[in-house]
Amino acid sequence: MKYGFFPGCSYKGAAGYKESTEAVCRSLGIALMEIEGWNCCGATSYWSTQDLKAYVLPARIMALAEKQGFTEIVNVCNACYSTLRKAHEKLAGDNDLRQKVNLALAEEGLAYSGNLKIRHLMEVIVNDLNADDVKKNIKKDLSGLVVAPYYGCQLNRPWADMDDAYYPVLMDRLIEIVGAKPLKNYSAKTECCGAAQMVAHKDFCIPLTNRIVKDAVSKGAQTICTLCPLCQLNVDSSQQGLGLPKIPVIFFTQLMGLALGLAEKDLMLNKLLTPFKIAV
Amino acid sequence: MTADPVLRDRFFKKYHGAEIQNCIQCGTCSGSCPLAEHMDFGPRQLFAMVREGDMSAALHANTMWLCVSCYHCMVKCPRGISITDHMYSLKKMAVEEGVKAPKMLHLYLSFNAPVEKHGRLTDVAAMAGFGLRHPLAALGNMGLGMKLAAKNRLEFKPRTVSNIAGFKKVMEKAKELERLS
Repeated sequence: MKYGFFPGCSYKGAAGYKESTEAVCRSLGIALMEIEGWNCCGATSYWSTQDLKAYVLPARIMALAEKQGFTEIVNVCNACYSTLRKAHEKLAGDNDLRQKVNLALAEEGLAYSGNLKIRHLMEVIVNDLNADDVKKNIKKDLSGLVVAPYYGCQLNRPWADMDDAYYPVLMDRLIEIVGAKPLKNYSAKTECCGAAQMVAHKDFCIPLTNRIVKDAVSKGAQTICTLCPLCQLNVDSSQQGLGLPKIPVIFFTQLMGLALGLAEKDLMLNKLLTPFKIAV
Repeated sequence: MTADPVLRDRFFKKYHGAEIQNCIQCGTCSGSCPLAEHMDFGPRQLFAMVREGDMSAALHANTMWLCVSCYHCMVKCPRGISITDHMYSLKKMAVEEGVKAPKMLHLYLSFNAPVEKHGRLTDVAAMAGFGLRHPLAALGNMGLGMKLAAKNRLEFKPRTVSNIAGFKKVMEKAKELERLS
């Protein structure tokens, strides 16, 4: 399967996300073709400060994808997903705005039709792949591993059309497919990690990550599984002062890599701040 | 309170804020907001003030600057109001009206500057810009920065879009169209 791939700015520096995504996709036969010439999506920073540019940034990425022959864009970051999706929905339904955005894009010979499908890799793996095909590739028994599925905010809100807005289950299913145990009743699974506010208002955001970690630890999870670089960084890096037992925060692709028996160089678990020291 | 119908009108028309007139003041938004306890006014109260035309107090509030864009309120609103989007609009209006820049605006501007210049962002570039204005906050993040550097997770060189000239022309045109509207 071939997809237009939008890595986004924080993918490369995220703890082992790039390495594990590439290795897992290689072993499952998913062709992620990087959209050539992509730019930053702008994220909440542009929504908060700019009118037209906030649409032009994601629209340029989508226009490039269309020009390069893709019909779907796969994201690996909740903020990128949310930004592209938000821009796409608005541009598809608002002709005046789309014309204006396309006037700007015309400077580079680009245009966005409003017809792309915006997706996230986690959901692509669960929805497009046959679970039995994935299971055939499993080399390591993870049945003793209890994993807290942490989805964050911007994958299912505000749309809630791929999964539930508050209690999604797609990643729970993925955890089961690879043979591990999803933590049941993980009520913090879509609570906010503080996002960019963590930089400016850390004292306000620590109680938020405390809730996410405490709920996982107290219910018996051994690791928290994420699908967004900023969620991962906030929950991983803020554990220092929480006074709770430390719990590693990994990407869903690293969990899959463990199950697929991939080597450490493909998982890069050594890049996590809270070490992953679980015998699997 | 001094009512300011002109500013309210701008919010209602230019920023599509008129739908807050449908708000039934139930407070579900404030109740579901993760940072409401730190806000001068919760979103419910902020919308009541805007409706009354008390724009100066509304635009000086810290409410919208503490919005984390988690969309909890927006999904739960029984009147289907795009609350998060109105928070973005109120931030932009506060800047237009020249309110003293809060920390989050400095963070946004530090984020936007390298994007405008190179088309892509590195954490180092955004944090360096923010750190210049908020050395204490930067110092607080220094420990994390060093840990990330030790794990070889920081990029010190800017990352530039391949067709940077084309990218800049597009952004320049967007700015021009913005001015005309």
